[in-house]
Amino acid sequence: MERTQRSPFTATVTALSLLFLFVPIAVVVLFSFHSTGGLSFPFRGFSLRWYEEVFSSPEFREASVNSLIVATATAVVTLLLGTLAAYGLSHSRSRLRAPLALLFFLPLTLPGLFIGLSLLVLFTEVQIDASLATVTIAHLVYVFPYFLLVSLAALNRLDVALEEAGADLGANSWLVFRKVTLPQVWPVLVGASSLAFALSFDEFIITFFVIGADSTLPMFIWSTLRRTVNPSINAISSLLLLVTLLLFVISFVLTFRRGRKRRGVIGGEELMEQALAGDAIGGRT
Amino acid sequence: MRPEPLPRVRLEEVTHRFGDVTALDGVSLDVREGEFVTLLGPSGCGKTTLLRIVAGFERPTEGRVILGGEDVTRTPAHRRPVNMVFQRPTLFPHLDVFENVAFGLRIAGVSTEEVRARVGDALRLIRLEGYEGRRNYELSGGQMQRVALARAMVNRPKVLLLDEPLSALDLKIRLEMEAELRRVHRETGATFVYVTHDQREALALSDRIVVFNEGRVEQVGEPDRVYRNPASPFVARFVGDSNVIAVEVTPGDTVRIAGRAMPAASDGIAEGAAWLVLRPDVVRLSAPGSGTGLRGVVRDVSFRGTGHTYRVEVGGLPDPIKAEMHEGGTFELEDEVELGWDPAASPLLPRTPDEP
Repeated sequence: MERTQRSPFTATVTALSLLFLFVPIAVVVLFSFHSTGGLSFPFRGFSLRWYEEVFSSPEFREASVNSLIVATATAVVTLLLGTLAAYGLSHSRSRLRAPLALLFFLPLTLPGLFIGLSLLVLFTEVQIDASLATVTIAHLVYVFPYFLLVSLAALNRLDVALEEAGADLGANSWLVFRKVTLPQVWPVLVGASSLAFALSFDEFIITFFVIGADSTLPMFIWSTLRRTVNPSINAISSLLLLVTLLLFVISFVLTFRRGRKRRGVIGGEELMEQALAGDAIGGRT
Repeated sequence: MRPEPLPRVRLEEVTHRFGDVTALDGVSLDVREGEFVTLLGPSGCGKTTLLRIVAGFERPTEGRVILGGEDVTRTPAHRRPVNMVFQRPTLFPHLDVFENVAFGLRIAGVSTEEVRARVGDALRLIRLEGYEGRRNYELSGGQMQRVALARAMVNRPKVLLLDEPLSALDLKIRLEMEAELRRVHRETGATFVYVTHDQREALALSDRIVVFNEGRVEQVGEPDRVYRNPASPFVARFVGDSNVIAVEVTPGDTVRIAGRAMPAASDGIAEGAAWLVLRPDVVRLSAPGSGTGLRGVVRDVSFRGTGHTYRVEVGGLPDPIKAEMHEGGTFELEDEVELGWDPAASPLLPRTPDEP
């Protein structure tokens, strides 16, 4: 590819965009270590007091545990159901395959507000009390298409002939899945599952509608904000950021790691391109 | 006389349709135990579909597949006593060479010691001992296909199916692999069903060739018979590199070609429209005036190492006649030459008068 001329204009715009994106985050993280209760400059010195305060709060601990429970349950159930759905969609020869896949991806386009509200109505109609279970169900609805998008792209990229070779060598469909398909796509599936975890862990809007009396971390931040404004909020946000970031990194490494193909595992940037280009809907080539 | 042994593979009136497209149209075929049979035809002629039907990847729309006397038409692929070598190397990328070859044995629950022994034998058969720990990306294309061959053969299949296994390889490796396949076939005595669109490969490898065209069998026979006595103009053109010329047979074993009377095979057609099949290596060129009377002009010469290939334009014929000469004088472009051939080696095929 030809290298484009560096123009001072492009460089400036790039720098400004990056500043715009990351300065607010950096400021939040910085002030979580503030030694005083001030939330604006000048910065008066470092301290871990806000982290201590946060960790000593029983409400914070309860909210964290709840978030972990919900996110873990969401990630695990998504992994199981999503893998089944992706496998089915990638192996179906039915004419309904493409419309069905589209239907699966539809929630991507729905606003969280709408999902939250409609689930609230549903739960009220069928008289299910709001709890962490309803939150988990709501999160499943929300994260499922993301999981499917990534895993379906990986499964569609699998060489059909490899699975045929497995069957030819005597493996029934289950053994082909376990011994041929799964060993090639598991990193993508686990990566997509940690993406599901991350999405669930800091989800707020949908949770707000269906949570009832319990609390999750984002809910806790929100309720704290209404009472007090001090750097403990920053400390919680920074922690949330850290967990989410970590999971995205894990997910990214597992899903898009370079050179995985040499080791025979589907991955690479092309996968992401394909996922974005709607290859998941297009089906196997 | 002893009764004919049961054929290893029997196909009965196999028809296969994909939607409106008929890929196979009433194909019947017997493959004998230990035979090397090649399904030959241009791409899209149905030969691969037929192989996939034998493997169990496709279920025929009509007809039956019988393996060793047992009707397996409705048996899924994983329960058929056949194994396949695919067109592209399909080694499992997450497994090394040993585990790839061991795959079928492990599925079958063979004991660890036996797996080790049989994988060892299989790797010896394809001369890749010492490659057990290698991965896909540490093998060349030819080595990958040899591992794929070992992975299939290790299960001692009743029939080995090969779907253009050499088409992705370089010419030099391809020739080596052909010799390798013949040797493995000889040493194991297994039944091979081989698919290719390469007539040279088919002639070189097979005990028998089945020529396919548009979902139908055009001819079945030993390579030399198919080459020397093609059953149709299609076979004549596809197997070997024939000149197929529209002629009129006249009484007294002669044909009229471009206004000239030429001698013809006596066992052919007595009178009327016919196709004359002229193999390029049968056509002889000579300096004008040497007697045959059929004259042409050399329009193209190419050197082929063992001889020259000429294209000779003959007035009144739509296409130039191809001739391969290994000895005798050479001719230059635009030289006028006389053409002759051995009538006994140039069969006549029936032609309806309105065929061009």
